[in-house]
Amino acid sequence: MSRSRWILAMVAALVAGTACSDNPTSGSARAGTLTLRLTTPHADDGAMTFQVSGPPIDSATVANASIRLFTRRESGSTVIGAVVGALDNGAVATLHVPDVGAAARYTTTVLEVADRQDALRASLAGYALTVAP
Amino acid sequence: MRISILVLLAVVGATPGLAQTPIVDESEPNDNVRTADSVALGDQARGVVNPAGDVDTWFVDLPAGQFLSVDVDAAQVGSPLDATLELIAPDGTTSLAFNDDFDGFDSRISYRVPQSGRYYVAIRAFGATGGPGLTYVINFDKVTCPVVGTEQEPNDTPGTAAPVAIGDSGSGEICPHDDNPAGDVDYWAITARAGTTIELDVDAAALGLFVDPVIALYASDGTTQLAFNDDEDGADSRLQYSIVTTGTYYATVADAAGSGNPFPYTLHVRSITPGPGDPITVRAQGLGRPWGLAVGNTGDLFVSDLTGNRVVRVSGQGVVTTFATGIPTPQGLAFDAFGNLLVASTDGAVYRVTPQGQVTRFITAGIPLWIAVAPDGRIWLTDLSDRSLRRYSSTGQFEARFDAISVGGSGPGPLAIAPSGEPHFSQGTEIWKLANGELRRVLRGAFIIWAFAFDVAGNIYAPAPAAGRIQLFDATGAIVADTFAIGPDAPQAVAFGRDATGATVARLFATDPRVGRVFEVNPAGVAHPGQPVGYVAPRFPLDVAAASLLGGGGLSAADLQYLDALGNHNGRYDVGDLQAYLRTVGGLPGARSNR
Repeated sequence: MSRSRWILAMVAALVAGTACSDNPTSGSARAGTLTLRLTTPHADDGAMTFQVSGPPIDSATVANASIRLFTRRESGSTVIGAVVGALDNGAVATLHVPDVGAAARYTTTVLEVADRQDALRASLAGYALTVAP
Repeated sequence: MRISILVLLAVVGATPGLAQTPIVDESEPNDNVRTADSVALGDQARGVVNPAGDVDTWFVDLPAGQFLSVDVDAAQVGSPLDATLELIAPDGTTSLAFNDDFDGFDSRISYRVPQSGRYYVAIRAFGATGGPGLTYVINFDKVTCPVVGTEQEPNDTPGTAAPVAIGDSGSGEICPHDDNPAGDVDYWAITARAGTTIELDVDAAALGLFVDPVIALYASDGTTQLAFNDDEDGADSRLQYSIVTTGTYYATVADAAGSGNPFPYTLHVRSITPGPGDPITVRAQGLGRPWGLAVGNTGDLFVSDLTGNRVVRVSGQGVVTTFATGIPTPQGLAFDAFGNLLVASTDGAVYRVTPQGQVTRFITAGIPLWIAVAPDGRIWLTDLSDRSLRRYSSTGQFEARFDAISVGGSGPGPLAIAPSGEPHFSQGTEIWKLANGELRRVLRGAFIIWAFAFDVAGNIYAPAPAAGRIQLFDATGAIVADTFAIGPDAPQAVAFGRDATGATVARLFATDPRVGRVFEVNPAGVAHPGQPVGYVAPRFPLDVAAASLLGGGGLSAADLQYLDALGNHNGRYDVGDLQAYLRTVGGLPGARSNR
């Protein structure tokens, strides 16, 4: 085999190998879970709606049994959800994502919060949600 | 005929030594106190009421404290006279007592005079008639107990009770305290069959006397009191009782006032025609004064008991347990949208009792009397302090007030929600509804209507405690059954039952504070299941409710309004409302359904 033909064969092999791979996490991407954490200034939160946007999210589950979670996919990159239960500082949901390395690219918004007597918070100051491994 | 024989025997027995009785004939003119004829105690006055409008007046001098008996014999001895009798004070004008008919058409007055003096007795013919044949005699004597009317003293015990048959009447006299310092009690024996509802009706004040009789009914053992009444009919008394076991029962007549003044009375014993809701079945007894009634989602009955300021739970097996205590004068009951029991207290608040029996003050109001929860979870109550109908959110926030003074009566009182969702309330003898913000009369009854209930067809089951019956009206207010059930003695509140799934059924329960019972009417007489009471869970599933909150739609405007009303009622459906809905359907983590 001539040197040029060997190079072509290698290139073809590389091209074929790339074409046969349909795993988007191949390379540096790694599927896994991220945690959605709440920071709240109150100790009697009972319910909250929120929005998470950014990289894809496969699904979401509650972080613990004291919370009930409802979600709806707004678009391919946005999920809105509601958590009801005894909310406190800390984890409220677990996000199942295709690339845990993209955690920093998620943006979150607290939409509404109600206390445990069903009254809406007039102000959302002091509330924050973070997405992190 | 039986009465006549007894009366004749009584008269004969009452007049021993009649042959020695001095007879005083009238001397006309004697039409007024100035021309009255004189008699003394022990005399028998004799005269004729003639011509029409004639008045014969007699006087007798009496010492203070004397018990006077003035007893007319006319119709009983064949005279066509229907006499009336009046006792007049020494001032010659003050009427102390009046009687028309005691022994049949004959009159009788017994009276203890408060002071020494000359007292006057006037005899007339009823209707101001008169004629040469209207003869009479009047026996002036001291009151004694031995024999009056058809009773036979001593009859102060069940063993000495005078018999009286259903459909008959008995007459007697409550003796003066001098003759019976313990207070005279007359016993009457009545034989009744199971399934019969009897009515005992005492006439004493109705005879024109300023007296206050009470009546009671005792079981065959002579000691267990089954029913009692004072003042059902003015100062007179009346009660009804449904007989569950064939046997002899005992009625007693006594003096409530304890004035010491003797008085005659007539006891009527009747059988009441049953209605479609008869016979009734006792589901719980031995309660103090059971008042309001609500049915839990598993079919248990919850009853406010004025005795003990408590709420009791009555299981399907009739087991009574105390559910909550410390609620002053508990009145109406209703379950809220979250499964808590709300209790209106005329103490000035609505109390909330959790399923575990924990009591907290929930709504502060003036004098809340009755309470109901609408299908949307909103709370309605009647407030006697300003005579208003009030609406609150399901969480107890005040929303609206409707003035009910304009409807008259003494209400607003008991309250219920119709199948239309419109609140209805009693103002006494009438039921009104709030429709499109306006109060409209639905029906006008003959009796005071207490806590009524609707069936699914909108028919109204209305307890009338004073009449001792439950009446049935249709949704337009027309009477369907004037006597739906006569079994209860004084039904106060009615409510339809539920089965184990929470569905309302065609079983109607009622409280009866007079006898301390909760009973059920005959289910065969109930045409329709009851209107579901209180909050009614909507048909959309939880996932749809959640998806709609998150922008997915799927709920109607009415659904959204419902959810908002269930929650914080801030004008839109939000996450607080979802939380309220979750709580209601038992969807909160660690919770179970309250419905």
